[in-house]
Amino acid sequence: MDLTGEYRIAASRERVWEALNDPEVLKASIPGCTELNAVGEDSFTASVTAKVGPVKAKFQGQVTLSDFDPPNGYTIQGEGKGGPAGFAKGGAKVTLIEDGDGTLLQYEVNANVGGKLAQIGSRLIDGTAKKLAGEFFTTFAEIAAASGAKDAPSPSPPLTPAVEAAVASGEAAPEIPRVDADEAAAQPTAQQVDAVAGEDATGEGLPRWVWLTGLILVLIGIIAVLGGD
Amino acid sequence: MVENGIGASLKRKEDNRFLTGKGNYTDDINRRGQTHVYIVRSPHAHATINSVNTAAAAAAPGVVAVYGGQDLIDDAVGGLVCGASVTGKGGEVNKAPPRNVLTIDKARFVGDPIIAVIAETLAQAKDAAELVEIDYTELPSTVSTANSDADGAPQLHEECPNNVALDWELGDKAAVDAAFAAAHKTAKVELINNRMVTNAMEPRAAVGEYNSGTGDLTLYVTSQNPHVHRLVMSAFMNIMPEHKFRVVAPDVGGGFGSKIFTYNEEAICAWAAKKLDRPVKWTSDRSEGFMSDAHGRDHVSTAEMAMDADGKFLGMRVDSKSNMGAYLQLFSVSIPTLFHGFLLAGQYTTPAIYLEMRCVMTNTAPVDAARGAGRPEATYLLERLVDVSAREMGLDPAEIRRRNFIKADQMPYQTPVVQCYDSGDYDASLDKALGMADYDGFSARQAEAKGRGKLRGIGLSSYIEACGVAPSAAVGSLGVGVGLWESAQVRFNPTGGVTVFTGTHSHGQGHETAFAQLVTERLGVPVENVEVVHGDTDKGQFGMGTYGSRSLPVGGVAIANACDKIIAKGKKIAAHTLEASEDDIEFGDGNFTVAGTDKVMNIAEVAFTAYVPHNYPEGVEPGLDEIAFFDPLNFSFPAGAHVCEVEIDPDTGTLEIVNYTAIDDFGVLVNPMIVEGQVHGGLAHGIGQALLEGCVYDEDSGQLISGSFMDYCMPRADNLPSFNVDYSPTIPLHNPLGVKGCGEAGAIAAPPAVINAIVNALDIKHLDMPATPEKLWRAAQAAG
Repeated sequence: MDLTGEYRIAASRERVWEALNDPEVLKASIPGCTELNAVGEDSFTASVTAKVGPVKAKFQGQVTLSDFDPPNGYTIQGEGKGGPAGFAKGGAKVTLIEDGDGTLLQYEVNANVGGKLAQIGSRLIDGTAKKLAGEFFTTFAEIAAASGAKDAPSPSPPLTPAVEAAVASGEAAPEIPRVDADEAAAQPTAQQVDAVAGEDATGEGLPRWVWLTGLILVLIGIIAVLGGD
Repeated sequence: MVENGIGASLKRKEDNRFLTGKGNYTDDINRRGQTHVYIVRSPHAHATINSVNTAAAAAAPGVVAVYGGQDLIDDAVGGLVCGASVTGKGGEVNKAPPRNVLTIDKARFVGDPIIAVIAETLAQAKDAAELVEIDYTELPSTVSTANSDADGAPQLHEECPNNVALDWELGDKAAVDAAFAAAHKTAKVELINNRMVTNAMEPRAAVGEYNSGTGDLTLYVTSQNPHVHRLVMSAFMNIMPEHKFRVVAPDVGGGFGSKIFTYNEEAICAWAAKKLDRPVKWTSDRSEGFMSDAHGRDHVSTAEMAMDADGKFLGMRVDSKSNMGAYLQLFSVSIPTLFHGFLLAGQYTTPAIYLEMRCVMTNTAPVDAARGAGRPEATYLLERLVDVSAREMGLDPAEIRRRNFIKADQMPYQTPVVQCYDSGDYDASLDKALGMADYDGFSARQAEAKGRGKLRGIGLSSYIEACGVAPSAAVGSLGVGVGLWESAQVRFNPTGGVTVFTGTHSHGQGHETAFAQLVTERLGVPVENVEVVHGDTDKGQFGMGTYGSRSLPVGGVAIANACDKIIAKGKKIAAHTLEASEDDIEFGDGNFTVAGTDKVMNIAEVAFTAYVPHNYPEGVEPGLDEIAFFDPLNFSFPAGAHVCEVEIDPDTGTLEIVNYTAIDDFGVLVNPMIVEGQVHGGLAHGIGQALLEGCVYDEDSGQLISGSFMDYCMPRADNLPSFNVDYSPTIPLHNPLGVKGCGEAGAIAAPPAVINAIVNALDIKHLDMPATPEKLWRAAQAAG
């Protein structure tokens, strides 16, 4: 399966990078993600469980980074094992491009699925992957905003004018092309964006924003399984 | 004429229970203390298994046991076997790479069973299965029928260099080369016989149960041949001696070949039931069935015909490869060779035929017999080649067939490829089919369709099959490891009812009705007083089961012969009672009569006398219960002519079969209604292959990507026309009942009839199956 896409996020490239830099936010953003642990400077493991209808699958994911070129892009290799459900594995090239006052996140995924995933899900994968990617961004924005509204865990750095401008113009929500996720739910307030920025600053500075792409691979697999049986 | 005997379209006895939900299938069987097994399968097409950790699974709630392949080996359980040894080029017998019940070292296809998790409930077994950790090193895989024997292809088995299980040839190469050298014209077609998943409505299932008090093991299993299951599991797998082992195949919801074979999961249920002294149950879900049932067909071939100036066939040359999958099954190598090569003469007098067949191992599920088994592949190849030949010669497809038919007065006819046909009138079948299909009126219909923007085409298929499998000595000399006779027991009860035990198995064929009619015809007993029992090794004496359209031509004759023994004994009893000479006793319509008198004794009275022998002939045993075994002298050769007419919408690629005429020669019909049902089912199967079905593995990853009904399209009622079915019988020399078998004919005849109609509509040389709307649309666009 080959999947390419891009999202425009109304924040500077540095901000996007940092906003995607907190494992806790990522973990909370991914449906069914119970564990997300760094196992080295350039790899991590994740556990994702999902259950819909009669099928339950727990994926053990492993993602490794390479060709690390901050803040321009990465290549990542990921693999998620779902036991009897099969596996999803693949690579993604991720590029961040400045786009006016926002950032374009582009990805090219080449993924393979195996076992039951391929057997019953291969026809669904392209469509569900796009839908899934959209849902991830939507949820990510919601969770980040909510946690910031209650008790941001650490002091927030000042917002850059660019982000403030984006928020003021109502464009801070991630733009999700070609998906039918409920974008309205993802409209963050200035406060929410502030919280995202705050999470960025408290991150450990590792370029883990790329994890999301790897996790998307895993999620593609899960959705394929769930959608197919 | 006996009421409800041979020739009566009696409604099926078995349908009462099937239509009212009273059928008893393997999954309906639940035993006290039953456990459930779930199989952990490889998600990889080809991978080394580095390590397996089952500790967490074994400790999971409800888990009773977790077994790997070594556990069975430690218990001296043997692997799965191939029952055929076919001798190839240079006198070399096919390779038979070993197969453990659960693979240990390597996974060789997606779905290869590795670990069996047994738990109190199926849910617990599935949950625990998720905890099994298997560390794989993925290996490059090969799934291609055409390329898996190429240099550098990933290797599956050490025992099979270049993945070649068998390199086989048949026929006189020099004679064929000479025919081509002398040919006026030649024709050539390259074609693929698409891989099929049989998809019986009932998935495979098994329940093993052990009685530690008696030491008896029972296996309930979805089998077409319970005695063969028992034989294989006893003789080759060492699971249990035959006399302590009962195999029951209760109601079975369709087999189509896929339930002939002994499978891994069934062996696990049998073995583990004894090991644990608890019943063990397994039921395949549809996804497992797609990846683990034996698949069918999957040939790639190049076929050539040499012709003289009149379009007479001088010689035929076929270069073919067949996909065996990752392991050999019970028949595997015999299907593309003995059941394929021997049918390549078809209905024609082609004097020289040469076939090269390479059986290759690939990282796919095993491939074995599926409805027709080799004969559909032969018929498709030949009938496509005949149409291409007609195109080359500028002859009408019907005309080139007539010019080359074996004539009725040439029977029996020895073909150059082993088989000797014993009956058939191919001109008669074709004439009848063309008449019913209004072949002469086709061009007018085609022109009318063109006016509506539709492309209309007509196609023929003159097929022959070898059924009534099979003469034991003949198949034995060819390397089949068993005899293929059949047995029957006909038992009168003291009150006059008859219980018939057959070694064949009915899984949709209507044996309970048709075999009862046979007994009614023979013995004059009312059909409702005849009960047919099958599918239980503790009831029937022995049997080879049901496949190769053998049940009536072989099993039916055994029943008839047992009836004749009943009559012979009954004559002695009647003669004694009626105080006449045995030689003067005549039997008919259920009555023993003293010739030329009105002294008569009904067979029910004779049966009662046999069990209450107060006044009884000296030296005659009490009882009326006879066993007969029948070994056929030859195959039977059902044949016929089918005509398919299609309309294609060039704008959408959609196709409608607007007329389908099937004229078949099955010899004598015992129950014409059941026969017509078998024809309909076979046609649906064949049309499904031609238009819709195709099992696909991804060339790069080796993944099965047509593994659900979403991606594997089965034929449905709205894909099929109302069939025009009729018969053109001839009587076989070798079959005492005059029957030939009918269960596979439609699946054999239909694919070339449909494709010949399509290429006729599109005016192209060839189109590979399945002819999906996309393919048809592209072809229509290309043809302009």
